[in-house]
Amino acid sequence: MAEAVPVRVFVADDEDDIRALVSLAVAKAGCTVTGAVADGSAALATARADLPDLVVLDVSMPGATGLEVCAALRADPATAGVRILLLSAGASPDDVARGLAAGADAYLAKPFGIAGLVRQVQALVARQPA
Amino acid sequence: MTTATEAGVRAPRPLPRSRRLLGAGPSSGSALESTVPTTGMFAAAAVLIAGGWIPVVDGELVLAGMTTAVLAVLVARLIPRPSLTRDGTSVVPLAHLAAVVLLAAGTGSPAVLFLLLGPALALSAAPGRRGVLLATLGTAAALLSPGLLSSAVPTTAALPGALLLGPLAVGLGGLAVNGTVRALGRRAREVQALREEKAALLAQVQTRADELDLATRMLAARAQTMTSVIDAVTEQSIIGTDRDGVIRVWNPGAEKMLGLPRAEVVRKRSIVEFHLPEELRAEAERCGSGPGLAALVHAAQEHGSDVRDWTCVAADGRPRTVSVAVTPRTDDRGAHAGWNFVGTDMTEARATERMKDQFVSLISHELRTPLTSILGYLELVLEDGQPLTEEQRRYLTTVERNADRLLRLVGDLLFTAQVDAGRFTLEPHDVDLAGVVRAAEETARVAATTAGVDLVVDVPEDGLVVPGDAVRLGQACDNLVSNAVKFTPAGGTVTLSLRSAWAAADGTVSAEHRPGTSPVAQLAVSDTGIGIPAGEQGRLFTRFFRASTAQRAAVPGVGLGLAITKAITTAHGGTLDLVSAEGAGTTFALTLPRATA
Repeated sequence: MAEAVPVRVFVADDEDDIRALVSLAVAKAGCTVTGAVADGSAALATARADLPDLVVLDVSMPGATGLEVCAALRADPATAGVRILLLSAGASPDDVARGLAAGADAYLAKPFGIAGLVRQVQALVARQPA
Repeated sequence: MTTATEAGVRAPRPLPRSRRLLGAGPSSGSALESTVPTTGMFAAAAVLIAGGWIPVVDGELVLAGMTTAVLAVLVARLIPRPSLTRDGTSVVPLAHLAAVVLLAAGTGSPAVLFLLLGPALALSAAPGRRGVLLATLGTAAALLSPGLLSSAVPTTAALPGALLLGPLAVGLGGLAVNGTVRALGRRAREVQALREEKAALLAQVQTRADELDLATRMLAARAQTMTSVIDAVTEQSIIGTDRDGVIRVWNPGAEKMLGLPRAEVVRKRSIVEFHLPEELRAEAERCGSGPGLAALVHAAQEHGSDVRDWTCVAADGRPRTVSVAVTPRTDDRGAHAGWNFVGTDMTEARATERMKDQFVSLISHELRTPLTSILGYLELVLEDGQPLTEEQRRYLTTVERNADRLLRLVGDLLFTAQVDAGRFTLEPHDVDLAGVVRAAEETARVAATTAGVDLVVDVPEDGLVVPGDAVRLGQACDNLVSNAVKFTPAGGTVTLSLRSAWAAADGTVSAEHRPGTSPVAQLAVSDTGIGIPAGEQGRLFTRFFRASTAQRAAVPGVGLGLAITKAITTAHGGTLDLVSAEGAGTTFALTLPRATA
């Protein structure tokens, strides 16, 4: 019986602690972290190069914001189908609406619990790519 | 100021002198005054008799006649005139008439008959016709007396003619005099009435003039007061315009705020010139009014007044954020005359508010990121099945509890910033408020037990549904219940009581359904705690306000819970009221519109 191909997840957050925490949660969700960067521009370049199944993006990042990266991925046919989870300290309905309008599949406001993040990642992974 | 007397008002004049001299009618003069001519004639007759020019036939009668005349004069001199009249006829002329009769009898001379003139005129001049009759009869008596009273006087052939003509002449003459005097009297009374009417009118005119003068001075004083008050306002602009927006009033506050002196503005500029054209255009489009002034006064025209921020442009081009109260102005007849604009420069205040909100928002966001790390790693340690000593687990639980507390504070700060910025939205559904209250009680149960506070819940068994946002209503209930527990000393009680009720338009709530009431749900959270001083209750829902009793008792908190609860209640169309007495406890009543079945 062939082994299931692990889901490849890429993480981008300018906070080292958060980046490491998200990577741990992604691993707990049974996924493989293909990379983790702290810069928006680097995140876009890496995502385009690696074509992961899921990208976890912080909204506030140097280089390019998570919203800009999200929009750019959606605009590129090669990455348009990648699943995107946005993380942000902005918790207002307006913030959530902006994130979803940029093309994100889900939006998680900080602070989030590990269990909640794991459930969110699993739910996105289970979803068929667009 | 002239007086009524100076203006020509005089006391009524007495009767004409002619009538007084004839002895007619009541008068303030003495009787002697009117008998002067007659007295003179009697004196002349006495001289003629004494000188022998008039013969004396019967000395006793002459003496009696003269005595009667003298007595009449003395009586007239000594006794007030009114006492000498009877039925309007003076007694004195009658006495004189009797004296003439006696003299005529005593002398037999027709010359004394001229003495009849005085008393006959006096009697004829008296009111009524009785005096004329008495004068006529007296004349006849005087003509007849020589023959009747004195045998020494021979009867002449001319006597019958004299007897007829004399009284006739006196009677007719008397009637003429009487008529003339009466006509004069009427005229005098008419003149008197006119004079009195004139005096009354003049008095009225004078009274009106005095009232007008007083009113004018009062108006001038009031205008002066208003002007001085308006001129004393230097930190607020007070601008009055006509109906077309042309400025008519411009106080020192307006000079200071907008940088132009009164002389350069009044009647020369429009209020619209001090507003941003694009802002007025946007408002005109928003409310569907005309451009310019119409956009500025549209809301005040519709609602009677309007207060809002406008961007005003000062003379140097600086934009100022001004809170402007617009009201219509009326003239003295109540007709629309223009507009009043009272402005307060809020430029610095609004900038400070924006900075404060941005600061709160920024800090809140920045706190959420480290909190994510703290809570996330704690969760990993506590729930990842790693072996921990009991002491380590207690320490980490303490860290987690305080991180949660910090998280709630950050949430509250962000929420109040959203409320202030008008970005607060609800996700309304049908919410069972009874379940929300039970959940709040459950949340507060641990803290209440720890604090030794008894928690009593009284909610309808079958629930109570209201339209609302379950999360926000839960937050409001949690705030009220946790507050009540926090402010109640050990041994006290907190009671949560939920009921369906009916609210009247004036806000009163009762259990009975009456016409005009609407269905509501009311949650009362009562405690037996430290209470809130009466003077502070009005500010209790202000952000960051903490009651002095809470500070004295060192109850932890930052003063956001009630502000948030109030905002949530208001957003649901409800009300939040309190009743509190220092040292006795507090009851908060949260009333929400209820869906009718």
